[in-house]
Amino acid sequence: MKKIAFASLILGVGAIVACQAPASKAEQKAAKPAKKMSKEEKFRAALAKQDKYQKACSNEKQLVPEGIPLEQFKKDMLATIKYPKGGVVGDWKKGEKLFGDPKKGGKGKGNCYACHCGDPSIIACGNIGPSLRGYGKRGIDPKTTYQRIYNPWSIQPCSAMFRFGVHGILSPEQIAHVTAFLHDSNSPINK
Amino acid sequence: MKNKKFLVGLALVGGVAVGFSADVPTPDQVKQLKEMGILPSDVIVDEGNDYFHNLKGPNGKTCASCHGQDGAKLVGAYAKMPRYYKDIGKVADIDIRIKACMTKYMGFPNDKKFKKKFTKKYRVPLAGYVATLSNGMKINVTLDDPQEKELYEFGKKLWYQRVGGRDLSCAICHEIYAGYRIRLQKLGAPVRDKLYAHWPAYRFSKDKLWTMEDRIRGCYKSYFLYLGKKWHKKKDWVKKPPYYMKEIVALELFMKKAANGATIEVPGLLR
Ligand code: HEC
Ligand code: HEC
Ligand code: HEC
Repeated sequence: MKKIAFASLILGVGAIVACQAPASKAEQKAAKPAKKMSKEEKFRAALAKQDKYQKACSNEKQLVPEGIPLEQFKKDMLATIKYPKGGVVGDWKKGEKLFGDPKKGGKGKGNCYACHCGDPSIIACGNIGPSLRGYGKRGIDPKTTYQRIYNPWSIQPCSAMFRFGVHGILSPEQIAHVTAFLHDSNSPINK
Repeated sequence: MKNKKFLVGLALVGGVAVGFSADVPTPDQVKQLKEMGILPSDVIVDEGNDYFHNLKGPNGKTCASCHGQDGAKLVGAYAKMPRYYKDIGKVADIDIRIKACMTKYMGFPNDKKFKKKFTKKYRVPLAGYVATLSNGMKINVTLDDPQEKELYEFGKKLWYQRVGGRDLSCAICHEIYAGYRIRLQKLGAPVRDKLYAHWPAYRFSKDKLWTMEDRIRGCYKSYFLYLGKKWHKKKDWVKKPPYYMKEIVALELFMKKAANGATIEVPGLLR
């Protein structure tokens, strides 16, 4: 697995170089696939993968993009969103496990309790984001909820809430399940 | 020494610490532990004191042979670190500085094997001991050297850099949302509240003394997740920066400069 990841990284770098105009000698040398990246190189490569929207949010305000107009930013982020075949509202019970499984103290792939409270039985919940108790009763369009989870930056550029769908933390189907968990009247969120 | 540590564990389990296992002990409880002579952080600092005076390098030198009995010539040094050192030609934090002294001046080999041994065994006790020599003094990082200035700016950039599969930065958690909670963990403000004054710090939850290098690595490991195929399969994450990396020193310099004027009180005692 590790090897495959290295390979894809190196191939990735190689491909970028190959698409560009003739590289200088130094660049060619740098692009030569190393046998194995050192830990330092891996760390730096990871930092260097910052995308242009992350970059726009890397200022001292943190929550306001710089260099990309707000409306453009939102439009670009909206364009990243992919929708599942079965619609934006999935199975709330599956969504519960992804949001944070009560059987595992609220841990789950989405790990939403890190920043939000929701199911009142989960006491270990953070407060960086607003409480989501009763969220389904607020008359919010599930499509908006889906968008918010897939790419929060399409609604709130530079939000602390990360772009779950963009990064593949949750798949479109999984985001639909989480959306259902937030909206279903039987969900503990709305009890 | 092992026994003492074991005692602490017992004391913590056996009553003193029950009920606050996820929290910092109250000042009263710390006092109690101190009176019993079993504050775990002190045990580690004592170990550092022992190395400082008695650990001989292959060339027969000890730290004390250059820096004085009881570290007399290192009093106040930690208050100005990280800083540029002419003899090694770069900006060093306490961890790197001590490692350089051991390989450059005591005859320890500058190889992978010693690096590992240093990191695991000598680094924390020695750093802890040297840091205590500046207790009660004020942090005073001056950025006189161009390399220091450059590294400081780099640290500032890293502090605000939104990056990785979670789009986070140090500043999101420790500046913008400082005072809020990630689950039940309160987010401190190392820059605004000059928290560097209590580092190196002992962490009860891990039963370990940590230098700032450990802390920064820990935050990168826990909170930043890097892109890459199948990143969620743990082994493909870029977990944390290796020790002694420039990036770590840069963040330390940024945070420590911000703590100028704060009185050093180490080792701190944390959750
Ligand atoms: C790092 C913290 C963080 C995490 C993790 C997080 N959120 Fe959020 N969330 C926020 C913040 C902050 C807001 C407030 C709006 C904003 O700034 O984007 C928010 C807003 C929301 C809202 C809109 C609330 C409202 O009142 O309109 C929803 C819905 C939501 N989050 C769902 C989720 C779900 C589902 C997850 C897990 C998949 C999640 N969040 C994970 C920080 C987070
Ligand atoms: C042979 C002499 C020698 C030995 C032995 C030695 N050092 Fe050093 N140390 C130096 C020199 C030289 C410097 C650089 C001083 C400067 O540039 O201000 C230094 C600098 C330091 C500094 C930074 C001081 C400051 O003012 O910022 C620390 C901390 C330190 N040494 C710790 C140690 C420790 C701990 C040991 C034992 C593991 C040790 N040294 C062993 C020679 C030595
Ligand atoms: C998602 C939030 C998050 C991010 C991002 C984050 N940290 Fe932390 N950090 C924490 C938490 C939580 C703690 C307390 C941990 C504990 O007590 O176990 C902490 C502790 C610290 C402390 C010690 C504070 C004290 O009380 O003395 C420092 C210093 C620190 N982090 C620096 C950094 C730096 C530098 C970065 C960026 C590389 C960073 N953190 C990124 C959450 C974060």
